[in-house]
Amino acid sequence: MAVTRRALFERVLQGIGAGVVAGGLDRALAESQVETTGQASGPLTVRVSRPFDAETPVREFTSWLTSNERFFVRSHFGPPSAEAIQPETWRLTVKGLVKDELTLSLPELKKFEPVTITAVLQCSGNGRAHHRPKVPGVQWERGAAGNAQWTGVRLRDVLQRAGVKPQGLHVQMQGADRPALPTVPLFTRSIPIAKALHPDTLLAYEMNGRPVPLLHGAPLRVITPGWMAESCMKWLTEITLRADETPGYYMQQAYRIPETSIQPGSGLPGSVMVPVEQMPVKSLIAAPAEGDTLRIGPVTIQGVAWAGESPITKVEVSCDDGKTWAPARLVGEEQPYAWRQWQYLWNARQVGPTAILCRATDAQGTQQPEKSPWNPGGFLWNGWDRLSVTVAA
Amino acid sequence: MGEARRERGRWSPLVAGLVLLLGIAAVTAAQEDDKHTIEPAQARRAVTLIHARCAVCHTTDLIVQQRLPPDRWQVTVEKMMHWGADLSKDEAATLLQFVTARYHPGAPDHLPSIEEELATTAPAGGPSPASDGPLVGVSARGAEIFARNCQACHGEGAMGGAGPKLARNKILKNEGAFWETVLHGRGPMPAWGSVLSHQEIADIHAWLASR
Repeated sequence: MAVTRRALFERVLQGIGAGVVAGGLDRALAESQVETTGQASGPLTVRVSRPFDAETPVREFTSWLTSNERFFVRSHFGPPSAEAIQPETWRLTVKGLVKDELTLSLPELKKFEPVTITAVLQCSGNGRAHHRPKVPGVQWERGAAGNAQWTGVRLRDVLQRAGVKPQGLHVQMQGADRPALPTVPLFTRSIPIAKALHPDTLLAYEMNGRPVPLLHGAPLRVITPGWMAESCMKWLTEITLRADETPGYYMQQAYRIPETSIQPGSGLPGSVMVPVEQMPVKSLIAAPAEGDTLRIGPVTIQGVAWAGESPITKVEVSCDDGKTWAPARLVGEEQPYAWRQWQYLWNARQVGPTAILCRATDAQGTQQPEKSPWNPGGFLWNGWDRLSVTVAA
Repeated sequence: MGEARRERGRWSPLVAGLVLLLGIAAVTAAQEDDKHTIEPAQARRAVTLIHARCAVCHTTDLIVQQRLPPDRWQVTVEKMMHWGADLSKDEAATLLQFVTARYHPGAPDHLPSIEEELATTAPAGGPSPASDGPLVGVSARGAEIFARNCQACHGEGAMGGAGPKLARNKILKNEGAFWETVLHGRGPMPAWGSVLSHQEIADIHAWLASR
């Protein structure tokens, strides 16, 4: 191979890794894990090696923006082949219930008005490992989330160019990724027309000011700010206007939750299941870290909080395992869809083990629950975040 | 049942009920125990199946991190078969028995990987040493070993599938590359060094070369 594995890995992450074969990617990723071990700022925590699913260590969330290289990665089949997303031949098609079908190259797409939005992206299964009884799926803990700046064009502008027919009520999205076996259903999703026409819903070609990296959906992905990440289709190639919600496994069975709460551990409910959409109010502690030993005296506790389409109004911290709570200071400026950083200065006086907790409240007055309602897919975990620490003299 | 009814006449209903309850508890505990143990040969067969058939689409770390009750494991295995996991009814039963026993809700957080399971459950005799002198592959045996272990990815008759076509593939002429790939894996292909003996790999090579 003409390029080193390290260089290959960097190219893959930057989304310009033309000619990368699936095998090269796997190995490059595996070796990068080894190479970065021991560095001050660690690598992603790998949950599944293939397709590559990895979460961000929460200490990275002391930064407002999550860097591309440390942003969580999740897909069902891994990135598409390099040929499928080559810049020269890649096209976005818009079809179905539209007046004029569109076929757009990336330069053509970039002629629409550019928009930049900072938004949290979070996997619906983030925190699945905390549900009891346990549920099947990737056992994400805390870090399948991140906050990035997305630049692209409004989906609305593209749809208006095509002209949506009145019957077009759902916008189906298809990426270029494909399963290993043709018998596995494609990852196809749809969003209701209202969300698609929202001026903040984007087709993003940049992530934190750089071309969207391969692992994050190069060259174009959907961003539905405030909604869970399975609506943010990566490697987007096809948009189809439909009268109904997309049929198929990934819309009709996966990524759905019971409309009303059900008995934990009960089988798949006969009750009505609805698609996962908005992110519920949630907060995480980025520092200190789980298991840390802290010196008696002042300790800065910091983290992030977000609530889908609603602003955060309050974050509370408990340093005695939930007995008493005190408000944290919200840091920085409120920006819709981005997460809000917070800090709390704790004067640790009592030596011994304790637990630090945090919980957030949004502008609707919804407070993060101690535990999230159980659901068979293990989605939307937003229970209080909790760290065990020890105070030493 | 007749025994219990007769005894009920002699003992107070309360005592009889208590005895019955304790009995059920003891039987259930024994069954729990049975559920969580698995014969080494069966375990070996199951982890080999996981390595050969599940890893077509995803690495086996996804399986090892699950902690599920039997009904959810069953639904999961059925879903995978519906999606094309290459498992006979018999093989599916073996696999299901293993994952139910090993990855149940009460199992420890950290369990060995499938690769570690393969290494620790190596068949008696283990893989044959490479220094035994030149291995002569037997094509007739290779066909069956291929069908069991390689076909899920490389297709019937080695004509290709999720993995590349191997019939008349040029790697067959480069024995060094062939052995390196089979023993240690490459990209999405898992390592087979702890699953197949060197003789079995030579048999597969002989069969592929005859295609």
